[in-house]
Amino acid sequence: MSSKAVSKSGVILAHTGSYPRIGDALELQVLRRTIAASDRGERTAADLLDAENEMTRRAIADQVRTGVDLLTDGQIRWYDPISHLAGKLEGVKIKGLLRFFDTNTYFRQPVLTALPKRKTQLIVEDYAFARNALGHLPTPPEKAGKLAIKPVLTGPYTLAKFSLSENGSSSALETRAMAYAEALAAEITALAEAGADFIQVDEPAIIKYPNDWKTFEQALAPLLKARDRARAAGRRLELALYVYFHDCAPLYEKLVALPVDVVGIDFTYNPKLLDAVATAGSPKPLGLGLIDGRNTKLEDPATVARQIERVLPKIAGGRAYLGPSSGLEYLPRDRAYAKLELLNKIRAALNS
Amino acid sequence: MSREKLEKLGLHLPLFPTTSVGSFPKPDYLLKARADFNKGKITREQLTELERKATAFWIEKQEKLGVDVLVDGEQYRGDMVAYFAERMPGFTEGGLVRSYGNRYYHKPIITGEVQWPGPVTVEWWKYAQSLTNKPVKGMLTGAYTIMDWSFNEFYPGRKATAMALAGVIRKEVEALIAAGCKIIQIDEPALSVRPEELAIATEAVEKTTHGLNAYFITHACYGAFEYIYPGMLNLAVDNFDLEMSNSDLALLELFRRHPFTKDISFGVVDVHSHVIEDVPAVRKRIEQALTILPKEGVWVDPDCGLKTRTIEEAIDKLRVCVEAARAFRN
Repeated sequence: MSSKAVSKSGVILAHTGSYPRIGDALELQVLRRTIAASDRGERTAADLLDAENEMTRRAIADQVRTGVDLLTDGQIRWYDPISHLAGKLEGVKIKGLLRFFDTNTYFRQPVLTALPKRKTQLIVEDYAFARNALGHLPTPPEKAGKLAIKPVLTGPYTLAKFSLSENGSSSALETRAMAYAEALAAEITALAEAGADFIQVDEPAIIKYPNDWKTFEQALAPLLKARDRARAAGRRLELALYVYFHDCAPLYEKLVALPVDVVGIDFTYNPKLLDAVATAGSPKPLGLGLIDGRNTKLEDPATVARQIERVLPKIAGGRAYLGPSSGLEYLPRDRAYAKLELLNKIRAALNS
Repeated sequence: MSREKLEKLGLHLPLFPTTSVGSFPKPDYLLKARADFNKGKITREQLTELERKATAFWIEKQEKLGVDVLVDGEQYRGDMVAYFAERMPGFTEGGLVRSYGNRYYHKPIITGEVQWPGPVTVEWWKYAQSLTNKPVKGMLTGAYTIMDWSFNEFYPGRKATAMALAGVIRKEVEALIAAGCKIIQIDEPALSVRPEELAIATEAVEKTTHGLNAYFITHACYGAFEYIYPGMLNLAVDNFDLEMSNSDLALLELFRRHPFTKDISFGVVDVHSHVIEDVPAVRKRIEQALTILPKEGVWVDPDCGLKTRTIEEAIDKLRVCVEAARAFRN
């Protein structure tokens, strides 16, 4: 199949979320050692914060070095994608471990004792730190002023789906999801006020449990309203919805019809998804999770470049965010770095 | 029911046989020795000697407690997948990845054709069995779980990987049987993570056990069984070892809707809690099991391996299992 030339500038290199908080070298184990020492009572909360800051700076530096345009803080401080947010809300206690999708990793399950309420910021301080850290890193001249930190939130439906209730008022999934949605909407407002202009909301659970679509869609509404309020106040803000860890093909057309600004999808679960996207197109920019964030095997840049050339002309505005299919904390650090390096090689291989 | 099969194998077990899932906590001297070995401070022979000492400790403990079907306690293993991967040609050790919280492990990478390196667990099984007259289970990790918990850079897909590994694990099963092992447990904790792949897991287990003369158990835990039940009953094993108490016996409701057609090793104590269950509470769990399951097919054990508990907690939890099971034999 022949491909038309595509605009390389339409392909933004965007990291999807988490980054390994450890490496095999001793200096990359500072966080693990500090947490262990802290558990033994041999380190203070300030020591722990220092270690988190150190590894966050390293995660951001790796993204800058590999040429990523839209960075994350690597979610270094997150115990897991669920309890890091839910555990900061009033009315939530954190209990036992459960497997996180089909990963061999685990999350701590929230149990609602009341409807969850946001009483304090969730990731605004993390975002502010990351932005500051990025500002202090040497940046290639051609990228000066063009790099940005993207805050990432787990969405209300996924949080609700993985929560239990000990309280009658929060026993219904819809009720839990709406309560989480209100808390996250307030966080989006705060992030926008702190300067974030692109926020990613992860809702992996909806493609695994598509029968919950109505609940998912309802819970998205408060987040969209928060975005619209920020825009009405004169701020630039885009909301990206990302799904992964399952085949999104059955829901693809419904996903891209949602009033979010970008939809990020994981191509690794269905080899035919690329054909479906190339055929159906998209009325909005897509996050192209063409790099497998769960396997160490490195993709061939030319092959991925040809895939992008097939779908990009079908995407409204010819804009796409190329990134890993999921966060990269599932990979060893050296392979995660190599996956980020691939992104630039793929963009360079476009039209070649 | 497979009691006939057990009898034919020469295994005359009481009703409600007690067992455990596999791992036990390592004593402090062994933890230190493993760290010393990794730093090159002691030799492999010195480490092995201490692993044998710890294995003997656990065999003696199980005998004293009155457990019916013993395990070697996996004192010589770290991670249940990495242990096999480190010994099989075709695997390369990967860098550290996170399991949860502050726990990390070296996740293996399949970089070539996987091959059986010769017996991996047989000498340990023979050693453990030599210490007791009670049957000791052979303990293996299943092909589907090894596939799912490894990176793959060699095989064209997940099914091809699982089937290649099944061929390798089958050879280990054959070697255990040739050594005299009659009860073999093949752990498949990844069984339910991708319900759409149950057929692959089923085919892999079939390839691993088909036509071999042993009583096969598979252990699965912390999964979404509601998505693979009753289809999972097609696995070519005699006994499912399931974590029941962690979910407040929620699986019984599934069994009520569709009969459970295998033997079951019924997990009656929570391995993630420091709290030691009392015998009446565990007896009540068994009573609930018997409202649905025929007594001839029920074994009693903890939910999962006990390696994350202290030695004292592990012993106490096993004691509760044994005392509760015995009450039903009378």
